[in-house]
Amino acid sequence: MAVKAFSSEWAKEFKDEVNRSSVYKTAAKGWKWTVGLVVEAEPDKHFPEAKGIVMDLFDGEARNVTVGAASDAQKCDFVITAPYSRWKEVATKQLDATRGMLQGKLKLKGDLPTIVRYTKASQEMTECTTRVPVEWPDEK
Amino acid sequence: MARRKVKAPVEPPSLVDYADPEPSAFASMLGGLIEANVRARPEKERDFEVLVARVGIFVTDIHEGVTLDFKGGRLVVHNGLRQRRTLTIRTDAETVMSLSNLKIGLLGLPVYYDSVGRGVAGKLLRGKLKIDGLLPNVITLNMVTRIFSVQ
Repeated sequence: MAVKAFSSEWAKEFKDEVNRSSVYKTAAKGWKWTVGLVVEAEPDKHFPEAKGIVMDLFDGEARNVTVGAASDAQKCDFVITAPYSRWKEVATKQLDATRGMLQGKLKLKGDLPTIVRYTKASQEMTECTTRVPVEWPDEK
Repeated sequence: MARRKVKAPVEPPSLVDYADPEPSAFASMLGGLIEANVRARPEKERDFEVLVARVGIFVTDIHEGVTLDFKGGRLVVHNGLRQRRTLTIRTDAETVMSLSNLKIGLLGLPVYYDSVGRGVAGKLLRGKLKIDGLLPNVITLNMVTRIFSVQ
């Protein structure tokens, strides 16, 4: 069943999807940093307030994924920021996350060599988002 | 009463400059990646200190390029491809990431026999990774790869 985009239900489904992925488990071995996703508001797309997704990822496992204020996500070791519609493009496979970062469509903050070293893990994490059925607020 | 002067922490001078007033996201990312690599690893710093070359990187699936102008201890990053390049690498975004994940093996040579290396070599053979100026500049390419690699 589809869950509301970037809701607590979505966070749970996403975490389960990450933990089901053997590809992620292998590729993220040694990862020990928190990742924050900032989803910027787009009121015209029925996404009126910015949200922050805080991901506690450790050694190939998603220990916790929570949805809260954007300011919580901004405190993470790595922060990726984009407007709602860009995240939707990523989750619906219209935008490849690596290309998005190189083009500045997704803004990354954090130690670049570390994130580049884990490119495969971040690609698989993006794949996991595409496997969660989502109800998008601008498609109601 | 004599007061001791408190010294403000001195920021190390930047190793990377940007030629354009608004560097592209790709230019900022490559410049940032190289600066972090060079600062963290003495063997990369040694290469960076002696490398003099103009290296173009064009990402075919986003139609964006940069020119990395290595000036022996300093790097100037330009948006787009500039003239008089020593080497030009043309490939897709995924392969650019793979290039920066190449392991460096014995004698400082990139490793092409593990899975990342085989992927890069395969793309070179299939023409999905093109390197203009490769033959006369193999040593330069190896140096650039070492500086660029996060492994």
